[in-house]
Amino acid sequence: MLGKSWKSAVAATAAAGLVSSAAAVSALAAEEVLRIGAPLALTGGLADEGKKQEAVWQLWLDKVNADGGVEVGGRTMKVEFVQYDYQTDGKRAGQLAEKLITDDEVDVLMAPFGSGHTKIVAAVAERYQVPLIACVASSVSVYDQGFQYLFGTLAPNTGMTESMTAYFKEKMPELRSVAVYGRDDVFPKAMASALADSAKSAGLEVTYNELYAVGTMDHSAAMSAIKAAEPDWVYMTGYTQDLILGRKQMQDLGVEAPIITMVTGPAYREFTEGLGELADGVTSSTWWHHATAYEGAVGPWETTAAFYADFLEAFGTDPDYVHGSCAAAADVLVNAVQTAGSTDKQAVRDALAATEILTFYGPIDFGENGMNQGREMPIIQVHGEEIKVLYPAAIADADLKMID
Amino acid sequence: MDILQILVNGIVLGALYACIAVGFSLVWGVLNVINMLHGSFIILGGYLTFFAWFYLGLNPILVLPAVALVLYLLGFALQYLFINKVVTAPVLTTLTLTFGLDMILYNLMTVYFTATPRRVTLDLGIVEFLGVVTPVDRLLGMGLALLLTALLYLVMRGSTIGRAIVAVRMDRQAAALMGIRVNRIYAITFGIGALMAGAAGAVFAMVFPVTTNLTGVFLGKAFVICVIGGLGSVPGALVGGLALGVIESFAGFLLGPQHAITVGFVLMLILLVVRPTGLVGVKGYE
Amino acid sequence: MGGDGTSTKLSGPAVLSRKPLAYAALALWVGLLAATPLLGDNYTVRIAITIAMFTAMALSWNFIGGFTGYPSFSTAAFFGIGCYVGALAQRNGIPLVVAWTLATLAVALFAAALGLIILRLKGHYFAIGSIAVVEVVRLIVSSWGSVTGGGDGLNVPLLQGGPEAVSAIVLYVMLAIMLAAFGATVLVDRGRLGFGLRCINQNEDAADMVGIDTTRYKIAAYSLSALFCGTVGAVYASWVGYIDPTDSFSILLTVKVPVMALLGGAGTVFGPIVGTGVFVLLEEFFWANFLEWNRAILGGIIVFLIFFLPGGILRLDYRRLWRDLLARRARQRSAEAAE
Repeated sequence: MLGKSWKSAVAATAAAGLVSSAAAVSALAAEEVLRIGAPLALTGGLADEGKKQEAVWQLWLDKVNADGGVEVGGRTMKVEFVQYDYQTDGKRAGQLAEKLITDDEVDVLMAPFGSGHTKIVAAVAERYQVPLIACVASSVSVYDQGFQYLFGTLAPNTGMTESMTAYFKEKMPELRSVAVYGRDDVFPKAMASALADSAKSAGLEVTYNELYAVGTMDHSAAMSAIKAAEPDWVYMTGYTQDLILGRKQMQDLGVEAPIITMVTGPAYREFTEGLGELADGVTSSTWWHHATAYEGAVGPWETTAAFYADFLEAFGTDPDYVHGSCAAAADVLVNAVQTAGSTDKQAVRDALAATEILTFYGPIDFGENGMNQGREMPIIQVHGEEIKVLYPAAIADADLKMID
Repeated sequence: MDILQILVNGIVLGALYACIAVGFSLVWGVLNVINMLHGSFIILGGYLTFFAWFYLGLNPILVLPAVALVLYLLGFALQYLFINKVVTAPVLTTLTLTFGLDMILYNLMTVYFTATPRRVTLDLGIVEFLGVVTPVDRLLGMGLALLLTALLYLVMRGSTIGRAIVAVRMDRQAAALMGIRVNRIYAITFGIGALMAGAAGAVFAMVFPVTTNLTGVFLGKAFVICVIGGLGSVPGALVGGLALGVIESFAGFLLGPQHAITVGFVLMLILLVVRPTGLVGVKGYE
Repeated sequence: MGGDGTSTKLSGPAVLSRKPLAYAALALWVGLLAATPLLGDNYTVRIAITIAMFTAMALSWNFIGGFTGYPSFSTAAFFGIGCYVGALAQRNGIPLVVAWTLATLAVALFAAALGLIILRLKGHYFAIGSIAVVEVVRLIVSSWGSVTGGGDGLNVPLLQGGPEAVSAIVLYVMLAIMLAAFGATVLVDRGRLGFGLRCINQNEDAADMVGIDTTRYKIAAYSLSALFCGTVGAVYASWVGYIDPTDSFSILLTVKVPVMALLGGAGTVFGPIVGTGVFVLLEEFFWANFLEWNRAILGGIIVFLIFFLPGGILRLDYRRLWRDLLARRARQRSAEAAE
């Protein structure tokens, strides 16, 4: 899959030990090529997510290069992705970012999946003043360090939890209490605490609010406690494997809440596959859903529908927000290069900061801290085998149903 | 809050824990090898069960013996071909070797099975008794776990192979002089360890999601259980597993789920120092 | 030399005569690493930093694992605590170098206190105990969110300066730590401590009987094995700018470091240096060439190492080849005599 972008020269350089030459690379850079570097987790704990990024970028790249490349200042530029596997190991992620910048001389970087590893890569990019687009990092703590070269296509978590609380209260006026149970990890923890705050300020009683450690294998104790708290709504965050087990154990231990939200479970196909019938009725929020219908977007896909069709044809499954956000990040990037008129890093960074465009994934407008400005993010629910959109009203195709 | 419910949760989980640890304990006890492959063996058993169920529609309980056999052969081969060559070397060597082998197995599994969590969605409902709810599949898992453990216990005590294994554990040289082919016994023992892991994996596929991300977690549990219960005996693994299950259940309830696994590890460290023989200190393996 | 050269002391004439050579080679190696900012790009410097960093840790591990023969797998705990103490100190306004020193001392103290407890264990129990320490510290760090940031991790103030300057600074600091660890190794190797530790390695009870205070010696070795890892951790944290519990306390790290030392030759002075250099370069090579299979290949290296280089690269040269040579000569001689 990496075929074109893969350079065996890299190997020789590393093997030769410590005397490497950048000469081979600069010969390539002399052609008009936009080089995008991406450290990806293709093996290890985040392999599934990393492979999604890899897949959607390949789709994007094929589409762009089939048209001969992108137009920049009247010239045509080829686009190239240089990717490496960092094995879900933070140290490697940083090392690879540096390799991409210095050895492969990429013009811009894409961050890997997750807030934690994005932070590591962001520190490297900042030091080298290379623009970095993070397409799967949504925790504000990634963006509040005053970094100038970091931009994120996902909107902040807080917007999600507030609109969700408001929506559920509207649909279920007798909603009184919520139990929050989150994984102690950057993103899931941030979502859990954001939801607890939103719920409190919306006047809900938070009857249970706990975190579970990374490496927790069983949730019996927590589920029994949640059952005793009798909440109307259970909100659990974590990785897919945690959520599958969590949902199963809710059933096993008789937790009976009309609303069960799992973040970001139903956004992934693996979740519904792993749960079968138990997935039915689980709600979630997501940053993007393919039911959204944007038109007149920049980049290779003018509409959301066009992207969806291409994706479906290529992979036979529905795209999730990771696919959407990451493909859009590539669009944003090309747009910034076009605005800047070159691949000059400072110019591209300034163009990114000034970005205000519409992509198939939605509007992109980076705020002060580099995060995409808040907008209405979809609430989704599993209905049978399908994922339905409940909110916002403009794209909703189903109504909230309670779990009985 | 119902104390009884917490206790039952802990016991059911504990029986599954015992099933994780018993093979690991056997290998440690007899071969004096800390088998870093154990977590991956369990996951491999889980994947095989899942695929048999998903593609062939076979019930996990029917698949269990086949999976166990496959794992036995794998374990036997690994011991016979690799680990036997260094089995008398210091722990540093054997631990590092099994870790290296584990990296290979782990890599193979992530490439061919991916890290996607899978689960046998054979949801069997729940039973309620005295206000305590328990899922049927976990009860079934507990039953199987106890059955397997009991079976191993009987094999160790009653069969010729079992006696030979115990003899090798007690005195390798003497056993060799008595005409026992020590290397073969080692390979069989390691095979049985893998077999128990595979069987545990098959049971777990009904209860937990199966993903390579969990190999380290299972291995860590095996460490803790062995130390708590005492090394090298079937009853020790059983006691250790049940103890850990109940402790985690109560710790999760009293201190919050965030601290549940910390408590288990801290307890293990304390026991290591205070009473290295564990709660059930037994000299010979039986 | 007692005939066949199997004596465990590395003091045979062959060794002695080669030592100046070994020191010269080391000087050359350090010089090469130190020159990377001038010779190569920053990625090359990064590899050099990685080598210096792991060499320091492998040399550290060698005190307890090599000299003393205790199978310690707690390197990641020391490294991780170093990361966190350094990061927290810096976040609270303590100057960089002071923060690094603080981390070093904290880790050494931690190891001494911990050693008092777990060094009573032996063999497998010690191995398991030392791994458990890594896990316990990780869990405590991640559940103590109010101080450590928990699963969120910690942002660490970035080192000031351009990328080249920062890389160069980190490299020289790491090289300094590596040389300090090496200096300590040489001192220990030649001094009473090294002698005592080797005695413990051979037979702890006997060592105790001839009047070696085994507890104190072992704690000294364990603390030494922690000290430099703490500094390395703190410097690493300042360098990368972000740490979290999962990456700071990784089981992979805790096994990798002993493997590096074993590869070169555990218990030797130069072994960890050779082993780390070879390991890191091999890893770079395989990882660049076999994207999906790098973990398996790394495992393969370990298996290969255990079977074919059980004493490490250095020991292979010294003994086996020598013995083979002698044996061949002896065979020749006996063949001649038979004629």
